[in-house]
Amino acid sequence: MDFELSPDHKVLQSSVRDFVEKEVKPLAIQIDENHKIPDELIQKISALGLLGSFIPEVYGGAGLDILSYALVVEEVSKACASSGVLISAHTSLACDPILHFGTESQKQKFLPPLAAGGKIGSFLLTEPEAGSDVANMATMYRKDGDGFIINGNKIFVTNGGFRGTGILFASIDRNLKHKGISAFIVDLESEGVEILRNENKLGIRGSFTTSFSINNLKVPAENLLGSEGQGFKIAMETLNGGRIGIAAQALGIAEGAFERALAYSKERKQFGHPISELQSIQFKLADMYTRIETSRLIVYRSAWLKENKKSYAVESAMCKLHASETATYVTKEAIQIHGGYGYVTEYEVERMYRDAKITEIYEGTSEIQRLIISKALLS
Amino acid sequence: MKILVCVKQVPDMESRFKVNSEGVWYDEKDLAFKLNEYDEFALEQAVRVKEQLGNTVDITVLSIGPDRVVEAIKKGLAMGGDRGIHIKDDHPWQKDPWQIASVIAAFARDKNFDLVFTGLQSQDRGSAQVGGILAELLGFACATTLVAFELNGDLVTVRQELDGGMCAILKFKLPAVVTCQMGLNTPRYPTLPNIMKARQKELLAFPVTNFIGPKNLAATERMYLPEKKGHGLVLEGDVNEVADRLVGVLKEKTTVLR
Repeated sequence: MDFELSPDHKVLQSSVRDFVEKEVKPLAIQIDENHKIPDELIQKISALGLLGSFIPEVYGGAGLDILSYALVVEEVSKACASSGVLISAHTSLACDPILHFGTESQKQKFLPPLAAGGKIGSFLLTEPEAGSDVANMATMYRKDGDGFIINGNKIFVTNGGFRGTGILFASIDRNLKHKGISAFIVDLESEGVEILRNENKLGIRGSFTTSFSINNLKVPAENLLGSEGQGFKIAMETLNGGRIGIAAQALGIAEGAFERALAYSKERKQFGHPISELQSIQFKLADMYTRIETSRLIVYRSAWLKENKKSYAVESAMCKLHASETATYVTKEAIQIHGGYGYVTEYEVERMYRDAKITEIYEGTSEIQRLIISKALLS
Repeated sequence: MKILVCVKQVPDMESRFKVNSEGVWYDEKDLAFKLNEYDEFALEQAVRVKEQLGNTVDITVLSIGPDRVVEAIKKGLAMGGDRGIHIKDDHPWQKDPWQIASVIAAFARDKNFDLVFTGLQSQDRGSAQVGGILAELLGFACATTLVAFELNGDLVTVRQELDGGMCAILKFKLPAVVTCQMGLNTPRYPTLPNIMKARQKELLAFPVTNFIGPKNLAATERMYLPEKKGHGLVLEGDVNEVADRLVGVLKEKTTVLR
């Protein structure tokens, strides 16, 4: 049993950390305020290969493992959760299902531009009336010659505003419930795909959260992902993997806030002493650090399980549950340690608190994670 | 052309240092280590030479130290080095700069290197001696504290940073050892595909005893944390008067104003 990162993982971690310190961290406040990640930063992220971490080299990726991907998302999210979720949603929710369920020609066609960042990936599953209850979806498809025609509405699509490559889910017959759902690879610049709006949000404000109206979108037969009726399985398996990315994002947010709180507690003097000498602050720091380190163990372990093709659905639910609740807890306490300054934008922990909350919601709420874990225990 | 880049792994300088039990070095336990910053400039310049001259250039990245220094070598390979040499030594800090340079020279002597890049100094010991001694031992030309580097054929032209804001241009022929200063270049970030490719590159390890050299010329007697100095100077009073006093202090005690 070895709890150390390998030298290769450490090289990756330190390289991404250097990049984030110099290129991402100085922009984090601006990204939040402008509700936009600058195009130049996305180009730098693409050029570094952060969008193709575990895509095999034959499809233009780096060919690294799932743990490397988790380390990338963690490091980026320490400084900027909006940039972290761009990478996470792109990789877990668009690249991964193509990699696992796509045909060879689909992989050759769609993965290279995704790995290079020419196309940003997204996942069009949620609808106004179908959130956690995926099988209730109202987006419908019908056959049209060799291909398909799709109509409906999708909401809360992370990265949707880039109009890149989307994995779109639709049903052929609502009475079939989850058995009627299929998945399609779509170009979001196609005719019939209309952006209704990009949401204004509490946190991850630099990330697009997009609503789409899909009107008579024509999808060629070769863009069906997997087989007809396999969509629900594709969605669920993709989300199992996606949870590792979101857990890594949550871990990074918590670490970013903790680093600031720890440093501030040593600098800030009250009553003639640094506040880190007060037990009330010391106990906060101990609790924050303990939750972060237990999150790290379970996030890395889930990545290892997925990489080694072992069953990981329960672990990925646990790692997302624990890391996301750790992120909201740690960022809240980081504000408390900062006192009034923590409430001010410049000190950044208020942004991290806002950014953390979504990790308890997207890609399966904490309640859904508890459902997955308890079902497995009791089945 | 064969290039050697000598790199060191040093603690993150933001760490909290403690003196070790022998009292002559810092305690390495609980420290996070990274590639010496000056050596990143050395690696970057070597890779630029390779980009200039093409694949006839072969870059060897060498480091002396315990197993953890493999991370520094691998970073060098991910930046563009072709092969790595790890000279295993669990206590490199017990060797003085003369011995470290002697070990490198013993490795390099029969390898026909044309150009050796290294950092101006390490961030932990800061002796700035290894490059110079290595050049002497190999009989190579030497230039230190480079802020610009140019290679034409076997002629090297460099700009050297000197004290007092002065610079000097030096010209010399290969073979040479050069030590690199901040400002020489902006080191690239290793890309993920190159980090992956670095895993396939040759990385040979040798015990330091293979390169056993001379005894040390100097030994560290004691290492300690200096006592904390007094607090900063706080100027108070009328703004104009404070500004005049500040200008006076800057002229008197710093080189910011003359």
